[in-house]
Amino acid sequence: MDVLSQVLAQRQRVADRLAQVGHVVAVMSGKGGVGKSALTANLAAALAMQGRAVGVLDADIHGASAAAMLGARGQPIVMNPDGARPAVGVADVRVMSMDLFLGDGDTPVTWRHPGGLAADTFVWRGALEANVLREFLADTDWGALDFLFIDMPPGADRFDTLMRLVPGLSGALVLTIPSQVSHLVVRRAIAAARESGARLLGLVENMAGLVDGTVAVERERFPDGAGEAFAAAVALPHLGKVPFDPLLARTTDAGRPFVLEHNHAPAGQAILTLAQKLEEVLEQ
Amino acid sequence: MKFLCNDCRQVMDFADNVPSEDGGSMAVRYECPGCGRSISMITNPGETQVVRSLGVTLGHEALNTQPEPMSMIREALAGQRATASTPAGPEPVWTENALKRLAAAPTFVQGMVRRLYTDYARQQGYAEITPAVMTEAREALGLTGM
Repeated sequence: MDVLSQVLAQRQRVADRLAQVGHVVAVMSGKGGVGKSALTANLAAALAMQGRAVGVLDADIHGASAAAMLGARGQPIVMNPDGARPAVGVADVRVMSMDLFLGDGDTPVTWRHPGGLAADTFVWRGALEANVLREFLADTDWGALDFLFIDMPPGADRFDTLMRLVPGLSGALVLTIPSQVSHLVVRRAIAAARESGARLLGLVENMAGLVDGTVAVERERFPDGAGEAFAAAVALPHLGKVPFDPLLARTTDAGRPFVLEHNHAPAGQAILTLAQKLEEVLEQ
Repeated sequence: MKFLCNDCRQVMDFADNVPSEDGGSMAVRYECPGCGRSISMITNPGETQVVRSLGVTLGHEALNTQPEPMSMIREALAGQRATASTPAGPEPVWTENALKRLAAAPTFVQGMVRRLYTDYARQQGYAEITPAVMTEAREALGLTGM
């Protein structure tokens, strides 16, 4: 089979695999450190708690954290004729992540090469890592899913790759935090995603205010309405705001997404509401 | 890439290839279906690596039209852990006492625990999963609180 035929066959395998998935939703920001992975894990858990079949594909190859946040770290990847069986995390959320392939916590993602000219990894690494995403999509035996979340890495470049691989992407959630610098970067990511032809489902403000348990320590860290104003400025629906709760960070880091055991806390309520809104938006 | 036999004006067929020991350069031989003349092309390591980064294969490897799952990642990633395959044999049966113990775990971890323990029991060749097997699996897998 020649190279072109192989590439076309690869695309077809992605389409065949995703035919069993109801909604493929990317969680993107452009900005790093805004809590994409934690929000993705909690959204996935929130929907799974309501009986939905949910998967999370960790597209952050060098900063993979979805397996850890969903309690699936350390599980072996099981290769079967139908594909690679994903790890199963809390609330039965299925997970595929580069973290599951790596030897231990200190092992970085590095690629074998024969040396010589191939040692100039910048020439081929981008293509190879785009194909990692393609293999995750095509070769993971997700089974039937209601939702597949794709936890995007920081930066906007990988989003175009995703759109090439999944032209039928249901949409993307755009995440920001209440900071002018975040807004600056997120604006560019939104523009890039729009150029790729993506459907942007709406804006989510993370770390909007500070809550400790059920106590609002600081109601609004930034002027009230800043998130709504930003959403209007970038012509996106404002889907919700999730306050920063130190317990959310601790529990999710420990592999038990906050929403599982703290769904009455303000941050838990916000995530449940967001999950409900997401379903409504996707049905429109 | 195709090659043309100048004498016969025919496209040469792929004949065979010989990967180098370093996994870098590769010799690919083509043969003219008309006159039988053959030529060999040698790729350099950089070119071979670029093609591999597309997740495609060259030469004889390309005749295998159904690549193994995650084959590119497994071939290219350094420092990776071993993958597994589903062990043969029937699925172990959960005893009533084991199910009671499983039910005592938080609901949101039950599915995950069930699969981890089932995989462990299958790998060990156990026909059933008892509380003792669960304890053994928990220690072997380094799980706590499950």
